[in-house]
Amino acid sequence: MAERITRNSDLALDVGRLRDEHKKVVKGCEVQIEHWQKVEHDYDSLQERLKTLPEQLSYDIMVPFGPLACMPGKLVHTNEVTVLLGDNWFAKCSAKQAQNIVEHRKKHVKHTLDDLHKTAKNFENRASFTNDLQKISGGKGDYVDIREVVVNEEALTKGKQRVAHKPHTKPKIEHVLNLEEEEELKNGGGAGGEDEGGDSGMGFLSEEELWARLDALETQEEHQDERDRTCDSTDTNGEDTSSSSEEEKEREGMGQTNGSTEDHMTLDTHSSRVNGVTHTHHEEEEEEEEEEEDPNALPTIYFSHTVELKKVRINTGKNTMLKFSERKEQKEQAKKKKKNGKANGHSLHEHHKITTPADIYRLFVDVVNGELIPRKSILKSRSRENSVCSDTSESSAADFEERRSALGRTLSHDDATHSDTSDCVTEEDSPPGIPLHPGSRFEAFSGTVVEKDPLPSSMPHLTFAQPALPTILERKSEELCTETPQEPPKRVSKFKAARLQQK
Amino acid sequence: MTTKRNLPAANTVQDETPQKEELSKKIKEQKILVDELSNLKKNRRVYLQQPNSNIFFLTDRGQTLSTSKKELDNLKKDYQDM
Repeated sequence: MAERITRNSDLALDVGRLRDEHKKVVKGCEVQIEHWQKVEHDYDSLQERLKTLPEQLSYDIMVPFGPLACMPGKLVHTNEVTVLLGDNWFAKCSAKQAQNIVEHRKKHVKHTLDDLHKTAKNFENRASFTNDLQKISGGKGDYVDIREVVVNEEALTKGKQRVAHKPHTKPKIEHVLNLEEEEELKNGGGAGGEDEGGDSGMGFLSEEELWARLDALETQEEHQDERDRTCDSTDTNGEDTSSSSEEEKEREGMGQTNGSTEDHMTLDTHSSRVNGVTHTHHEEEEEEEEEEEDPNALPTIYFSHTVELKKVRINTGKNTMLKFSERKEQKEQAKKKKKNGKANGHSLHEHHKITTPADIYRLFVDVVNGELIPRKSILKSRSRENSVCSDTSESSAADFEERRSALGRTLSHDDATHSDTSDCVTEEDSPPGIPLHPGSRFEAFSGTVVEKDPLPSSMPHLTFAQPALPTILERKSEELCTETPQEPPKRVSKFKAARLQQK
Repeated sequence: MTTKRNLPAANTVQDETPQKEELSKKIKEQKILVDELSNLKKNRRVYLQQPNSNIFFLTDRGQTLSTSKKELDNLKKDYQDM
């Protein structure tokens, strides 16, 4: 009785908790809806303004002068808007085009709002259903919640633990098996075995008859096995065939495996085909299996290591290589971007089909510090590629990422100029596999080159004027291009240049 | 010299009583706004803030007065309906 009461209180508690969770979700949805409604309203007003903006040539406005002050001013160029596309990219367009963009964004907002409304409604329904659930399972109605309490878990296992048989051990034959078998036979194959049809008329079997019958079944099963093996061409693995034959045998008929299903549970996969009937043959059969697999000439996949030349990467910021691996060449072949110098790279097309550009990135990977890292597209930002691919840029990777948005393409310009000064061979101006400077210090080199990042020379420019607009950025990149070639000989000038730029 | 006016914030969907409260507050605001605008001298300039930005656009005094009166009427109607 007391138990019942606690259960009820528990139930009420649980249901209450569930309802609370539902309500929480609903509330969260409402907050979200509010937010999105505000966004929609903002877009509405913006669109309204954009509609009326080009109507006049200029507007008298108050220009914000810091957060606290305003200045009377004039708004000209009323039909020119810069639209933030995201990630600090802006697009210059007319007011009309901006309106279209706003319309497009409003569509998205509306979609989100619809989804949120749906979710909120859904969870409101669930909350109301939870109330009903409490009434139903509260025990007052016609319904009773059936629960079974496990008092003692040991009663299930009955003392000693059951251990799985080791592979290649013969399970002991229990008398029960035979008895069950007999019963099976006596029942006249009622269990649905395909073989029992002939014996169905007999009421009793003597021991000799029984053994004869068992032997017959054994041979039959062996035949069946062989047939299965020849048919089953997909499973080349020895373990797979054994397990699949096991399944088939189970399907074959209860007469053979009926008594030994318990054994099946505990046996390993190696001996899983062994059951009460076929246990005497299992080892020979397995050997046969392995022998037979070769003459059957089943499709076999052989793996061998392909020779991959060590790649040399020089961390000059730019993605430069001294030696090209075969894979690199193959990649170039596949891409048909550049003519390859050597013809010895047997193409990968034999093994892999490249149908889409995405396949290229799946097939070709860089090896960095022993890890596989997918190749980056050459169309992507160099700086990003840098931070991922180069061995030694872990420390500067964060810096790269920080500067990425600010610098963008600037970095590649910069590095291109630096790579000349640091005796490195760029991809573009060298035939693959042959270094341009045979007497240079990179000749006998097979590992990675750790080189000081040339970027810090351009650091002073970065410390100020983080550009938000791409127009500024372009200007800066030009400046950098023109400045950097002079930098290495006279290193002091960069501060000067920085100061000059600041003015 | 100038009178700046903020557009009313978006109507928030909440429970019955807070919504009503908010609405009455808005009506009060709007009333004050109408009074202020109607008491301005003729040569005063009125600026209207573009929502979500800091720019104030110069507007016509009479036009602003009429729109704000209309807004007040709408709010009152809403309040009556609740």
